[in-house]
Amino acid sequence: MAIIHLFQANLRKQAIELKRYAPNTIAMVLTVYIIFMAIFAGIKMIGNPVTQGVAVQHTMVNYIFWYLAMIIVNGVGYEIITETTRGTFEQLGMSPSGIWRILTVRLLADSILHSLMVIFLLYLSMITTNQWLNVDFISIIPIFLFACLSMYGLAFIIAGLTIIFKQIQAFLQIFQFVLAGLTFIALPSLPFFLFLPLTKGLSMIRAIMIEGDVLTDFTMLDFTLLIGNALIYVGVGLGFYLYCENYAMKRGLLAHY
Amino acid sequence: METIINVSHLKKTYMKRKQKEVITAVDDISFQIGKGEIVGLLGPNGAGKTTTIKMICGLLKPDQGVITINGINNAKHRLKALQHISAVLEGNRNLYWRLTVRENLEYFAGNRGQSKKAVTNRIESLLNTFRLKDKEHELVNRLSRGMQQKLAIAVAMLANTDVILLDEPTLGLDVETSYEVRTILKEIVEKEQCTIIISSHDMDVIQSVCERTIIINNGKMITNERVDRLLTLFEVRAYTVTLGQPLTEAQQMAIESAFSSYDYITNQIKPMINIELPSPEHIYQLFDILKQEQTPVESIDRNTINFEEIFMKIVKEGYNHGNHTSVSSELA
Repeated sequence: MAIIHLFQANLRKQAIELKRYAPNTIAMVLTVYIIFMAIFAGIKMIGNPVTQGVAVQHTMVNYIFWYLAMIIVNGVGYEIITETTRGTFEQLGMSPSGIWRILTVRLLADSILHSLMVIFLLYLSMITTNQWLNVDFISIIPIFLFACLSMYGLAFIIAGLTIIFKQIQAFLQIFQFVLAGLTFIALPSLPFFLFLPLTKGLSMIRAIMIEGDVLTDFTMLDFTLLIGNALIYVGVGLGFYLYCENYAMKRGLLAHY
Repeated sequence: METIINVSHLKKTYMKRKQKEVITAVDDISFQIGKGEIVGLLGPNGAGKTTTIKMICGLLKPDQGVITINGINNAKHRLKALQHISAVLEGNRNLYWRLTVRENLEYFAGNRGQSKKAVTNRIESLLNTFRLKDKEHELVNRLSRGMQQKLAIAVAMLANTDVILLDEPTLGLDVETSYEVRTILKEIVEKEQCTIIISSHDMDVIQSVCERTIIINNGKMITNERVDRLLTLFEVRAYTVTLGQPLTEAQQMAIESAFSSYDYITNQIKPMINIELPSPEHIYQLFDILKQEQTPVESIDRNTINFEEIFMKIVKEGYNHGNHTSVSSELA
């Protein structure tokens, strides 16, 4: 039950902060939408008219997931920087729940809250472009959950690095392009990239949303790769984070800014 | 008294990266704190207090030594040990400024795995104790520093742990709020029966709230003594003698050679001697010197020494816990 209370408390806090920083939240959503519209206008103007529809659909899905990955993966880094600067990270470090559990529930809370925003943005984009995707939640959600797991793995790696180095804003800015690479990779043309985080999950989601596939259209191998990828990355990420936390505690870096 | 915190041979070193120099922040510190005790942890800046506190809180791993909290080794079972301890380390900075008073309390309770419902009564009681009830829906960034500080302490209290660690609870507060915080701390101690460790540069807080004090300097523990005992120990030896006429040079030299610590003050209406006596009987030796020139004594006042002066003496002159036997027998 303690983990449920922990999750509830963090979901409530993240939601309250989104509400309290409403201008920032609205500006963030608007920026994402305006950039998407700029990309859409670019495709319209210089894209091949024959493949334009598919190109827009691909852009829509990739772009929305890139935004989500940035918010979740880089977000944890920025959050740790903010918390160490304002002095609240020490309190997290003294919680008997453990920092990693707090980070996990925050990742879950952020995923839920920002997924709602992503769904809103997705429908807004579909309405604006008149390009309709197959939003089959029953097929998307299970795959999305495993895609999220590999995203959490990356988030833990970022969290570990932030705890040790603190000033990693420049790295996070570069890393957003790495995330763009991961979300925009088309696996059929680059099959070896399936070992990278996110790629397999997003490839399957694209197949559902653009090609209209359903869960039963995927093979056992697809699911094995998806689940394996997710578990390996979340395991490696968490292991790396715990190593960094231990290192920071030995060197006096935890909560030190 | 049952021991709740046991610190044994604690050592922590840091490496200065550029100079490749090893700094010993804490050097072989050992002490015990009993259940229900209020202990002050003192020391000048850079003495090793915060390092010690962070090691007790499990935020920093010692190089050597063991810390047990309620019998739990906090290096081996860190999260389990943390169930018994809460702390305010950075005062008002330990709070979420964009959450309200109540939201902060609820959030930190949730972070310890407590449900919102389970802590409702406790929150109400703490809001009343800390006189924050009328501000419960106010954002923390709109509160005064004193209120933020009180809230930070309330957050630590909410956890209902056996041990509460307060680092500089009155730092940056005005006299009135500082007094209020001290009063609240005293109330808490009486009501809650918990163990409190206070690290502070505010000696009034230590003197008025703490039973015992541990003084650390240069990473070493130099004193571990009851506050009242230290007050008695230092108070008994200091006197101000007001004279009816100035001392002769011969008298001054005689006093100087007989007493190690003395001040001859001539810029007051009457000449005065501030003197520290090794034992109360030494006052007769002073009288003998004064009697030689028939120097009239107008008054003798035993100086009241405050805790700040005691602290300064201990830190500067190196009063040591090891000297206790001789001092104790002297007191007896």
